[in-house]
Amino acid sequence: MHALLTHGRRRAGDAAFRAWTTVTGSTLARYQAAIVRIGVALTFGAFLLREWPNRRVLYGDLSPWSADLSRQMLSANHAFSVLAWSDAGWWFECVYVAAIAVSVLMLLGWRTRATSLVFMVLVLSLQNRAVLVGDGGDNVVHLMAIYLVFTRCGEVWSLDARAARRGTRDERDPVGVAVWLLLGLALAFCQLSGFAKLGMLDLGVYTWGTFFWLCWLLAGLRGALARRAPESEGSALLDALGALLHNAAMLVIAAEVCFIYATAGWYKIQGSLWQGGTALWFPLHLHYFEPWPALNSMLGNNSTLVTVITYGTVIAQVGFPFLVFNRRIKNVMLALMMTEHLAIAVVLGLPFFSLAMITADAVFLPTGFLRLTGQGVAKGVARVVATPVLRQTIMRAPRATEREQEAVSVIR
Amino acid sequence: MADEPDGATTHEPIPAPRTAPEDTTAESGAAENDAAENDPAESGTEDNGAEDSGADRPDPAQGRRWSLPSLLVLYAAVVAVALAVVYHLGTVFLSIAPSNPVSQRNATTINAHVMPEFEQNWQLFAPNPLQQNIAVQARVQTLAADGGRTESPWIDLTAQDVAAIRGNAFPSHVNQNLLRRAWDYYTAWHDQNEKSTGFGGPLSVEYLKRIGLQRIGRDWRGEPVIQIQFRSATTDVTGPTWTGAPATATPSYRQLPWWPATDDDYRGLGAS
Repeated sequence: MHALLTHGRRRAGDAAFRAWTTVTGSTLARYQAAIVRIGVALTFGAFLLREWPNRRVLYGDLSPWSADLSRQMLSANHAFSVLAWSDAGWWFECVYVAAIAVSVLMLLGWRTRATSLVFMVLVLSLQNRAVLVGDGGDNVVHLMAIYLVFTRCGEVWSLDARAARRGTRDERDPVGVAVWLLLGLALAFCQLSGFAKLGMLDLGVYTWGTFFWLCWLLAGLRGALARRAPESEGSALLDALGALLHNAAMLVIAAEVCFIYATAGWYKIQGSLWQGGTALWFPLHLHYFEPWPALNSMLGNNSTLVTVITYGTVIAQVGFPFLVFNRRIKNVMLALMMTEHLAIAVVLGLPFFSLAMITADAVFLPTGFLRLTGQGVAKGVARVVATPVLRQTIMRAPRATEREQEAVSVIR
Repeated sequence: MADEPDGATTHEPIPAPRTAPEDTTAESGAAENDAAENDPAESGTEDNGAEDSGADRPDPAQGRRWSLPSLLVLYAAVVAVALAVVYHLGTVFLSIAPSNPVSQRNATTINAHVMPEFEQNWQLFAPNPLQQNIAVQARVQTLAADGGRTESPWIDLTAQDVAAIRGNAFPSHVNQNLLRRAWDYYTAWHDQNEKSTGFGGPLSVEYLKRIGLQRIGRDWRGEPVIQIQFRSATTDVTGPTWTGAPATATPSYRQLPWWPATDDDYRGLGAS
């Protein structure tokens, strides 16, 4: 009896210890973090490009939701938007163009730690300027942009990872220091010159001002330690804290996706039309979500299809949070969910919403699948680049430097 | 981007806390099920190749012996992060779940954390999908130089949106959300008698008015607009054809009062 107890205690101790080493010692779900980063940046960047002709009506000086209305709402709900700081046309254009540029950098994973923070600021700024023009897709991008700040989403499939692999960033890392200084200066300027309005950068216990400075100080500390004392305990401690934060953020992202499906499902099972198996008919006949009426009536007029999809949607959404813990069913489920979202993109005319949802789903894709896909894409790119025409035109010059870099990484 | 066939094998291993000898047997698969803070997204890690685990899971031989202060910081951080995650997920869950005793009792606490940046609503076509096509229509009154007033016929603003969405694989938010959600916002902040019910009332009136004025312009048929009026034409989506539901339905109207249109309302609309 005593031996059994000791054994049990030991096993519990081991388990706790493994949990401890896992959450503080390793960056879990690196590929999942990267795919969410790429998906969210792609969704937002593509959306901004699509809305380029309408940008001033949606978020700028031509918006019916005038700067004045926007400020009334922002001072009531305390949402964050740098667009409320100035009504000048150049400021809006700068923010919009910056949002596109930073989306590209985020997608490529350049200086991901700093970029993810700037990306979040720009997402919040544009969306909160006119929150009433958004839909569920914007909501997903909004949440994921915040959560990604806490993750190490650039450890794979990124320019950062490539630089680390090739050892092209030396220890002094002047670009990194420049980015850090620039962001610090920008933050200090906005705060001290009174450019930041509505108290959006005020310091306090739980405010954006404090959060940004904290991020900046930690980044500085981490950079300084990495340069001066890479082997020190302080450096290791910051690393462990970073891993802990990343793992917690990935948990939150995964839980958030489960929340989305669970609530969508929970509310549906209370609805008579979903119970009656005809619910799908109605969204198919809403003019605002009917870009291809002929397609919609073709789908809608098939009563079997309507019933199957109606019930299937409810079952999938209600069951999603539970099924994701079973690997095999999860993968089938993910394939179904992504297919449904692809269909929604076309049938209901919601491509950006669908892309955002597919991105959110992707956090549950298995690492093996993601790695294989990544390798496939890499090989495809390599093959295209290696075609004789391309090689002769663009690859001849870079090849020499590439060989050099390979040599460097071998030496390392 | 996907130029990473070999994973991040050159990464420096992330230092781990002091490792016990038993841990050497803990392979990725086993560690997963036990982790208290485990990440469901991680359920695929068993696919990790051997080369990857070098970067992902530090070699136990390199385990770090933390000093007491560091260990205390780590313990505190783990507890703080765990509490923060529970608090965040708890409040977010309560904010999106149907109203219940817990969320009613803690409404202030929940809102304080969730609003505004974590606000969300996932009642997508639920509990029942919208079964109505709501067309927002507007008409204006103009003032001629001789003092004569003219009323325009009803202009179907929603029909303009729908026309822009038809055949468009990438509908703009301008057409799909702007007017639709402005009308939702108005109805959410007004009662049956078109009386404002609070903060959003005046904002929604100004918003809706400006949308209408922007679309119709400063002048209508050469005369300046002085008033605008809105109405909604709500047509039920009739049930599926196989249930024998009628093919068409007659719209029902909700008409708002006339609102004055001043130069101030036109500010920044680009309307001339």
